[in-house]
Amino acid sequence: MLREQGVAPEESAGLLPALLRLDEWSAPRPSLMDTQQLLAQLAHALPSRSPVRQAIRERQQRPIGSIIGLLDITRTQVSLFGLSFWLVSALITFVGAVAVLSAAGPTSDAQQIAAQEIVLRASGPLLACLGTVIAFRGTGAHVLECELVCLPTPLQLALARLVIVLGYDITLGLALCLALVAGGAGDVLMLMLSWFMPLLLVVGLALLLSLRLSIQTAASVAYGSWLAILALGAIANLQNLRALSLLALTSPSETLLGSLGVALLAAVLLRLRANLPHLLPTA
Amino acid sequence: MHEMSDEELLAGVMAGDQMAFATLVTRYHAPLLGYLYRLVGGDRTLAEDLMQETLLRVLRQSRCSGEFRFKPWLYTIATNLARDHFKSAGVRRRERSDEAAEDTLRRVADSTSGPEASALAAEQGSEVRAALTQLGEEYRVVVVLRFYQGFTLQEIAQTLQIPLGTVKSRLSVGLRRLRDVLAPIREGVE
Repeated sequence: MLREQGVAPEESAGLLPALLRLDEWSAPRPSLMDTQQLLAQLAHALPSRSPVRQAIRERQQRPIGSIIGLLDITRTQVSLFGLSFWLVSALITFVGAVAVLSAAGPTSDAQQIAAQEIVLRASGPLLACLGTVIAFRGTGAHVLECELVCLPTPLQLALARLVIVLGYDITLGLALCLALVAGGAGDVLMLMLSWFMPLLLVVGLALLLSLRLSIQTAASVAYGSWLAILALGAIANLQNLRALSLLALTSPSETLLGSLGVALLAAVLLRLRANLPHLLPTA
Repeated sequence: MHEMSDEELLAGVMAGDQMAFATLVTRYHAPLLGYLYRLVGGDRTLAEDLMQETLLRVLRQSRCSGEFRFKPWLYTIATNLARDHFKSAGVRRRERSDEAAEDTLRRVADSTSGPEASALAAEQGSEVRAALTQLGEEYRVVVVLRFYQGFTLQEIAQTLQIPLGTVKSRLSVGLRRLRDVLAPIREGVE
């Protein structure tokens, strides 16, 4: 021991007696009852059992394939979304469907479809906005999952939450699609594009802005900007303003916007990896 | 059966696993109490209070990143708490403790090989305790970690967040001071 810490052999002999005497001072050994008492005193501070944390721990102990693993994380992340989220999202879709169907007449002319599209273009991104705020509300607050920095990285957690938000929105979209078909709306595919593509754009934009702003502000700015574009487009359509005609949305331009949304999402996910040190606790 | 590592147990604790918590506390209760007991100069009540506070900090600040090692981290918290305690207790307490230590050393050194010496020798390690108390706090910590807790030099460096060379030099100075303090006592007793 002494040699390891660089003490010369000739000096070791002089130090050894003092070293051997250290054993003369023994420390008290706590009894089993002492330990139980200590455990009882600390019990209140023990973290509560959480399905998310439990799943993270299980995953740590038993690594599984990437896709199955992601789905597994996704399943556990569902608990972060309250009942109100599912109900409000469904309600928004329902209101959108009713608005679209009430605008639909026996014959579907261009004017009717334009009105339906506006309703869908406004309601789809609202779902995206809501889902993003709920799913990523803890990112700036060093949530436990980020603190743990276990196998599910912040990137995987972000992916899992996007799967939930977009998966639920797609499910609602399919329900909306069925409702539109049953209600006799014309050109359902185009209407669905009007609903889903802006949704993708707003999710991507909100998450991109959330790298600099709080998630609530980012989502509000993203949705607000989209509504402004929508309003300007509608004004341009109504008043035949040439200067604003570029803002009038068409199906190809919407597809382009959706692709832009996907690109923004990919950029955000890549950026998350680079931002990892900022997400970690500083303590 | 596979014995779970400290880090695995901590992950369990963070997931709310009471069994993992009990195992971790049982594993570290005696060594950590012993460490704190020696660090605070043999005050068991104070050592127990610091022990409890250390574990509370563990529960509040827990982490489990890839390179994370539980043991040095635990002892870092305990050491910092003990240091904070010394600072908050103020100079008066330190003076009182130094006086008590000096008194013990004086009594031991002045005694002859009569019944008084035997009684003093029987007193549980009071000489060693007094000698350790006389060491500066930075030397006492490394000596206790190395020779009572059995830490490697690397673990001490990690725990105290100081370079390996500093650990070695503090150990060297600490041991020489111990030798100087304990040798005359030994001569006096014998």
